[in-house]
Amino acid sequence: MTPVNFPLPNVVPLIPEMFVATMAMFILMLDLFLAKEKKVWGGYLAILTCVAAGGLTLMVGSAESVSAFYGFFVLDAFSSYAKLLIYAGTALAVILSLDYIKEEFGVGEYYTLMLFAMLGMMIMASAPNFVTMYLGLELMALCTYVLVGFQRDVLRSSEAGLKYFILGSLASGFLLYGISFLYGVTGSFDFATVGSGIAHSGSGARFAVLLGLVFVIAGLAFKISLAPFHMWTPDAYEGAPTPITAFMSVAPKVAGLVILIRVLVDALPSLQVEYITIFSWLAVLSMAVGNLAAIAQRNIKRMLAYSTIGHVGFIMLGVIAGNADGYAGVLVYMTIYLFMSMGAFAVIVLMNREGIQGELLDDFAGLSKVRPGYALAMGLYLFSLAGIPFLGGFWAKYVVFIAAIESGHLYLAIIALLFSVVGAFYYIRVVKYIYFDDQRVEFNFVENRLMQATVAVTAVAVVAIGIFPQPVINICKAALGGII
Amino acid sequence: MVPLSYYLAVAACLFAVGVIGLFLNRKNVIVILMCIELILLAVNVNLAAFSHFLQDLGGQIFVFFVLTVAASEVAVGLAILVAYYRNRRSINVDDINTLQG
Repeated sequence: MTPVNFPLPNVVPLIPEMFVATMAMFILMLDLFLAKEKKVWGGYLAILTCVAAGGLTLMVGSAESVSAFYGFFVLDAFSSYAKLLIYAGTALAVILSLDYIKEEFGVGEYYTLMLFAMLGMMIMASAPNFVTMYLGLELMALCTYVLVGFQRDVLRSSEAGLKYFILGSLASGFLLYGISFLYGVTGSFDFATVGSGIAHSGSGARFAVLLGLVFVIAGLAFKISLAPFHMWTPDAYEGAPTPITAFMSVAPKVAGLVILIRVLVDALPSLQVEYITIFSWLAVLSMAVGNLAAIAQRNIKRMLAYSTIGHVGFIMLGVIAGNADGYAGVLVYMTIYLFMSMGAFAVIVLMNREGIQGELLDDFAGLSKVRPGYALAMGLYLFSLAGIPFLGGFWAKYVVFIAAIESGHLYLAIIALLFSVVGAFYYIRVVKYIYFDDQRVEFNFVENRLMQATVAVTAVAVVAIGIFPQPVINICKAALGGII
Repeated sequence: MVPLSYYLAVAACLFAVGVIGLFLNRKNVIVILMCIELILLAVNVNLAAFSHFLQDLGGQIFVFFVLTVAASEVAVGLAILVAYYRNRRSINVDDINTLQG
């Protein structure tokens, strides 16, 4: 009789994921045993979890790609780098939450949900397969719906949660419908197998392949809030607790863009002409909607929501370029955007007291006279978001624009340049409020060392990357080695 | 034997009913949840049909994942809806209008 073998899957690449899952559950349990004034420990523990997960990812990560669980999980430099960005985004969002989330809302659940959302993004970043991708995406999405509606007794928050939930579920449905057609044509969920299956499929399957492509793109475009699938973004951003808005503006976007690149490169390479056409239109629409609608906003969270939509349009130039430089540009853009966006939201949270003060643009009037430090930092973020030269945001745009031009999309780069000039208007308008207008509201700042440190670190990072962009660009190019 | 195209047509109809219902419905949020279920159901019919005709079990296993996620999605959705109802005292679609601009 031959002995039956049960080969244990190689779990080493999944150590960071398992660690985060364990810590999330531990924080949920720990919260029950903490006294009221010590609830904030859950938050500190969540920050430590992100940092430790970063260390573990650096430890298990390697330059070549490692596959585990029979090809349902992949660890390469690309996913490791994306995970580091996701940890940074989550950790900063947790820092912003420390003073914001009060115990009546259930502090333990809050940090647990954030960590589980992060786990979902990590799984997305490592997915070589539509099944893994879908499960990671839903884990992220379900946690984010709840986090957006977390302030149960605030109407705006629960309404934002409801809207986000409805549109997000619709997007998942679209994505799944597209996946089902790609599966039908190729008989597999594995990205690489789907890719070769599509390349060898006859003209009879052409319609099904295109249907699959369109629905998958629509589903993923929802997640990264690319126009015209951006409808949820302004409402969810405005209604959500501000730290969650900050969280949503970076980490899920990184995960969504990473999985989008992986799907395009591995599963749909033979449809490059088609998807570049689709993305060109979506990118132009996104830049137009984002930058034009932002001008009309009076609420800074809503304004930054439209600004995100515009930035996603710019980022798409990197995807449209369709080569290593373009994809590296996407990573560079997200890295720099992480600092700009988190910093801006940190200042908003610092000003946020009792309800919605610190959300209207008017509330920022005269900030420079009261707190010159915050005013300077906010000014730096806004100039950087606008793409003023020699701040981080300039290089972010520069890298993707150059990639688009070199791959022959000059007209797109020109359109993007025009829209970034339009965008500069509404960013600089806020700077005008901060520096040249008289104070209109009584300022009342949160005094929290960690948050102030966040503002300082992100502001320094924006300036430092602006002066020395090359290291970031080199790291992002190295991170791409695994997939191209 | 029923050909594959029949299954795909049924699934496409279900999907269309779900999407159209989601956008035309002006009455009740519960109906929206039902429409989302219809969309996922269409996906499941598609996957099961493809799986059978390709003689590949992967599709049917994915159906189980989709079913599980759909169940948790509805749980989360109803919980958010209850929280919303407590604040707004209505689940009329036309009343979801606090956030605008």
